[in-house]
Amino acid sequence: MMRRARIFHRGRALWARVQGDMLVLPGGERLPVSDAHWLPPITPGATIFALGLNFADHNAELGFKAAEPPLVFLKGPNTLVGHQGVTPRPTDANQMHPECELVAVIGRPGKRIPRAQALDHVAGYTIACDYAIREYLENYYRPNLRVKNRDATTPIGPWIVDAADIPDPQALAITTLVNGVTVQAGSTRDMVLDVAGLIAYLSETMTLRPGDMILTGTPQGLHFVAPGDRVECTIAAIGTLVNHVEAAA
Amino acid sequence: MIAGTVYGVVLNDGAERAALAPAFAQAPYRAPPIAPVLYIKPHNTILPGGGDVMLDGLAEIAVAPAIGLILGRDATRVRPGDALDTIAAAALALDLSEPCDSYYRPTVRQRCRDGFLPVGTPVPFDPALLETEIVTRIDGVEAHRWSPARLIRDAASLIADVSAFMTLEAGDMLLIGVPHDAPVARRGQRIETDATGFASVRATLEGNA
Repeated sequence: MMRRARIFHRGRALWARVQGDMLVLPGGERLPVSDAHWLPPITPGATIFALGLNFADHNAELGFKAAEPPLVFLKGPNTLVGHQGVTPRPTDANQMHPECELVAVIGRPGKRIPRAQALDHVAGYTIACDYAIREYLENYYRPNLRVKNRDATTPIGPWIVDAADIPDPQALAITTLVNGVTVQAGSTRDMVLDVAGLIAYLSETMTLRPGDMILTGTPQGLHFVAPGDRVECTIAAIGTLVNHVEAAA
Repeated sequence: MIAGTVYGVVLNDGAERAALAPAFAQAPYRAPPIAPVLYIKPHNTILPGGGDVMLDGLAEIAVAPAIGLILGRDATRVRPGDALDTIAAAALALDLSEPCDSYYRPTVRQRCRDGFLPVGTPVPFDPALLETEIVTRIDGVEAHRWSPARLIRDAASLIADVSAFMTLEAGDMLLIGVPHDAPVARRGQRIETDATGFASVRATLEGNA
């Protein structure tokens, strides 16, 4: 299995391969995984697409129907934070909840990509936790950026697993644990529009480029977090993304 | 040309807000907006210097002339009095979109087709650039004229209010407002926008029906 991580090492950011409990750096140097300073595994300049209302069970829970057309929104890189990072929770954010999501990372660029070839354009997959703060929702350009574009509110990582190692992205268990208690348990099979369908839809009008990311939506399980919480998002065959919630300064 | 993320803001035009106030009391809005209403124009939309824009399948589009401010350093929770100190450069942009009446949940693709943000060459920032009139011609005939005087949040207030909940990073560009009466242009037409002190931006609408 090929896993690529973005880490901070000796004063610079670099990509490393993950082999068991070791990281192999570009020059061959090896570093224990436990020593890693994880960064978001993102290509600078990548477009970050995200999906709302893309799981039937989550839609039922929120009282929404599936969006037609799909509810796509965009995020800036200021939102990202790496594995084992910290997400600030504003003091008035009593309804802040984690959303564990499968992330498809684009490899081959393309426009008007047919659904049947769409997965050939995926370089790999990672995990995101797309926190939302419901108090900040407003009914303009939903979901509004005050909810979804806050600094460090989208933990992502720990690494990108090569697409070749995930032959079926629609058969992956998704779970979120808060302080060891399961608060989300779903499967990527419940997506309204699957990874291939999303790539076909987005590329109808927009050129997808290497490194672009698609956060594919979250299953049911609404749980509000508190400062001090440890949030673990796990997707089968990829790994576990850990995040710590702290009170905002 | 633009290293960071391009953010834009709707509903920052005073004339627009006044006209829509009754609608914003009704469903699905129910209350006027509080925070700035932002959107993102991803990299596939950016057309440096302008050029040909493909309108495949679209007969016409809205052409919103806007001033983009490019940050020279990060802005996080800045005060209005300090906000303009974060700006390094400015550029004219044509924010293209499919005409749309809804502010509730417009689709990303309406604003984010390839080439839907022709951007003129940036010039060093000078506060006087925020006093200028922006004139847009379609096929050589004046079609629109406006100025930042119409904005509800001026540039400094807008940067302050956005940076209250997210960081505008060095290299990002913030479009400080789009006019609600933006002209509509059709395939085959030439668009040109000028403002004193800025590099002009031109686009030609191409594409198949």
